[in-house]
Amino acid sequence: MKIAFTAAGTTWDSMIDPRFGRTEFFIVYNDETQETTVFDNSAVKNEAHGAGTATAQKIFEIKPDVLITGNGPGENAATALKQLDMKIFVNAHNMTIKEAYDNYKNGKLQPL
Amino acid sequence: MSSERINEIVILSGKGGTGKTSLAAAFSVLAGTEAVIADCDVDAANMHLLLKPDFARSMEFYSGELAVINQDICIRCGKCADVCRFNAIPFMENQYTISPLDCEGCGYCEKVCPSFAIVMKERKSGKVYTSTIKTEGIMVHARLDIAAENSGKLVAKVKKDAKDHANAGNKKFIIVDGSPGIGCPVVSSLSGANYVVLVTEPTMSGLHDLIRVYEVIKRFRIKAGCIINKADVNEAQSREIKEFLMSEQIDHLADIPYDSAFSSAMIEGKTVVEIQSPLKAQLEEIWKQIKLITNKNNTI
Repeated sequence: MKIAFTAAGTTWDSMIDPRFGRTEFFIVYNDETQETTVFDNSAVKNEAHGAGTATAQKIFEIKPDVLITGNGPGENAATALKQLDMKIFVNAHNMTIKEAYDNYKNGKLQPL
Repeated sequence: MSSERINEIVILSGKGGTGKTSLAAAFSVLAGTEAVIADCDVDAANMHLLLKPDFARSMEFYSGELAVINQDICIRCGKCADVCRFNAIPFMENQYTISPLDCEGCGYCEKVCPSFAIVMKERKSGKVYTSTIKTEGIMVHARLDIAAENSGKLVAKVKKDAKDHANAGNKKFIIVDGSPGIGCPVVSSLSGANYVVLVTEPTMSGLHDLIRVYEVIKRFRIKAGCIINKADVNEAQSREIKEFLMSEQIDHLADIPYDSAFSSAMIEGKTVVEIQSPLKAQLEEIWKQIKLITNKNNTI
């Protein structure tokens, strides 16, 4: 299963980026292969408008099974993401990626 | 990491003219050097009139695109002008030229040009400043060029610079003066925020726009409090607002009575807490309350 985190950095000790649309990075962890992949999303900085939907497009390419983020996607991005069979968990801001993963495993994150 | 301890407080109103910036500037003065100020209401930035920034450091800001025609390659076919929805390509002095004030940067002309004479270039849309203001605190703000508009991108940039300064200076708060409405800049000012202070007024459109902006805030699950400004102007409408706050569990921070002290202070280029007025004590109380709530939220 692929788990994607919106991240402010590129390691397990990086903080969750509370923003969905303008998240700096995605860290994707595959718990079957234990592989971690980092996706740079910083190009979205150049989007004057529509950052949420541009990032949603990126999620369609990654196709994770679970998305863990902070404030959660806005209205437009959320509508687009409904097309994917993906669970979204929110309120993981102020956590490192590792803390967010542990909380997710223990069922302590809030589903959208 | 120190970034998790910074409280990002966004001040929003939905409707314009409720006193959002007057209050945001007053809180900025009360916060002094413990906060970094981010003026994200860039379309009609006016916080600088009250906070007296020194415009010390500036950086050019690019946003969106602008079509540019290479006249040496252009075959004067006029296809670009035909498809332009904004009538931004007039034919003058025997050549097609882009009117930069009208060009929206959509790129349709570039797509249809048979001689590849049109390229889209990044458009300089203004400057972002980092200033020291009259409290000795730091403020990040921006000034747009003519016909340029605020964007989520610009707001994200102003907030990021403010956050970097807050981190570097070990500040506890970022006070963000958000823009009116519920569009892209508002969404961008909300992302990553810890608390929203809503400023409304007891009018029908005050309540209508409050409800509308709160829908957006709710979507991002950010806690909010509300100040009803000019609350005594229409008590029935004020009651209706309070019922809404109660039903949505929004903190009711205060009722501020109508007071011409706001205008008198503004004429002197000051915030209302810098002149003799009973409002000063009330605003100090509200700011204390906001600090208390956000500190509590952040430790949970």
